[in-house]
This record gives sequence, structure tokens and C-alpha cells, in this order.
Amino acid sequence: MIHNTHMSQYIPPTLWHFVTGTFTSVAGTVSGTIAINRANANETSVITIPIMIPSNSVALQGAKLVSIEVDYVVKTGEPTSLTWTLNKVTRGVEGSVASVDAITKTDTIAAADSHAVDEHKQVITITTPEWVDNDVYYLLEISLIAGAANNTEHFLGAVANFTLRV
Amino acid sequence: MLHNTHMAQVIPCTEIHYVTGTWTMTAGTVAGMIAKHKAAGAETAVVTVPVQIPSNSIALQGAKLTSIELDYELAAAAATSVTAVLHKVVRGIEGAVAVASHPTITQSLVAAAGAETEDTHKLVVTLSTPAWIDNDDYYLCEFSFVFGGAVTVDIFAAVVNFTLRV
Repeated sequence: MIHNTHMSQYIPPTLWHFVTGTFTSVAGTVSGTIAINRANANETSVITIPIMIPSNSVALQGAKLVSIEVDYVVKTGEPTSLTWTLNKVTRGVEGSVASVDAITKTDTIAAADSHAVDEHKQVITITTPEWVDNDVYYLLEISLIAGAANNTEHFLGAVANFTLRV
Repeated sequence: MLHNTHMAQVIPCTEIHYVTGTWTMTAGTVAGMIAKHKAAGAETAVVTVPVQIPSNSIALQGAKLTSIELDYELAAAAATSVTAVLHKVVRGIEGAVAVASHPTITQSLVAAAGAETEDTHKLVVTLSTPAWIDNDDYYLCEFSFVFGGAVTVDIFAAVVNFTLRV
């Protein structure tokens, strides 16, 4: 059996989910990189990152999700706030809706700092890392309240860190 | 060599391919979830799940594809039918087109007698003969949704089940 505690999975911004706002694919600030740009508007956008790592139907096998790193840039002007929520989705059986639970975690960048004009790497660390069942998946949600300041953001990518045991 | 028969991989709605209809990113019906939403329209929409799991150039190694599950919700009315087809795509060499074949599958919900009802669904597509995936092959699981005028659909995610041998 393989047990590797240092696995990572890159999740490009092209796989992210964006609701409310104008989001477009653009070249990143650094030549050769890619980004999704949010155009300036006074609105609340919800950006969701699907955590694409393996799972397993046997307990204590597959992937144990430990943390998620998110690279983004607040470019011009400062939005009002960014709020980070890690949701665990338990899929419903046929005929039933899924259920969603917010997972306890810590953020390396405090809420007051995560919306500053700067290059950011936010690390979301799960307080109790969890083995991922095949009927479960995780979504990291960013609620961005833009406010009236003239601000745009670039979303560059995310990396999920996990233990692999197969 | 490791051999794990219980592996799974989530494919988020953002990675799925949609043809025909007006599709938008929306919040899921349960808070915290994400969906790709199709507006009402009397038409046949084709939803294709790229089966993104590992492959291997050595026979009987890598991933053996077993089944694909699609989570979706039909609202406002029933659809006419939801029919799954699995495509095995053998990539062409330089200058040659790819070749598609259609492995035999069963779907857990009958196309026009279960899969099409106004409800939340988990539709499981099972290969009659699970297949090891060569590095020159990939699989696409296509779902044809035949809609009347009123029905809408939310696609939440797919989950691919496979054996991993490496």
C-alpha cells in the first residue's frame, strides 16, 4: 500500500465556478500565466473552487484532504471583504437532495487583510483533515463583496494538498 | 504493485461540456452547492462528461473504468427522456482522425421511465465490461436530455468509479 502525505493537485481557474459579475479569461500579469478576471462592479460575487482530488468508498483509503491554497490578485482598489467557506457536499441518493456542511478551518490571511491590493496566497487548513468518501466532495467558496471602490481581481489557480493512501 | 478497486474521482459541473440550450453557472438548490443550470426550452441538450482519470501505456495498468454517476435535478416539469451513451475515443495518430466506439453500458434509471421525472437524480452508468484505459484512449459519457418547453435542469457533478493499478 502507498501512503504519501505530500500529494498536491493543481486546480486551474478554468474549472472554477463564478456567479454574479463579469468574468473573463485573460493573460496573467506574469507573462505565460493565465487568470480569470472579475470586472469592476459594485456587487457580491461568489467564486467556488471544486476540490478535484480522488476519493474512495473504503474508509481510510483514497485521499485525506488537508489544505487548499488559493492564488489571486486584488488589482486596483480594495473590495469590501472576502469571506472564505469550505463546504462538504454529501451527495443524495436517487430522489434525494444533497446536504452541505461547513467545515471548520483556519485561514492564513486574516479577513481584514485578504482584500488588500496585493498578490495573495490564502491557505485554508482543515482543522481535522478528512478522508474523502466517494459520496462526498468539497467546495471552497469565496464571497467577494466588491463595494463601491473601483476594483478588479485576477484568480490564478488553487492547489489542494492531501495524503494519498491506496 | 498496488491494486485498489474502490477509487473514485469527482468531475465538477464546470468541467462538463454542454451543447444546445442556454447554460449558466448558478448556485445549487442547496446553499453552498454549485450547478450548471439550463433555462427552459423545448430542445435536446447534450451533456458530456469527460472521464478524467489516469491511463497507462502498459496493458492492465493504470485505471480500469467501472461506472460513471451523474447528479442532476429536473425542475418545473418532467423531461421526455434522459439517455446515456458511452464513447470510447481512440486518438488518431498525426494526420488521422480519432475513432469512437460505444462500449455496452446499462443505466440505473430507465431513460423515459425514471431518469426523466421531476426530481433529484443520481443516474449510474455501468460498463458491462470494465475497461483498462490506454494512454491513447479516453472516454466521454454523453447524456441526451430531451426537454419539453417548461423543464429546467441543474447539473451538479459526476463521479467516476475505477480500479487503480500502478
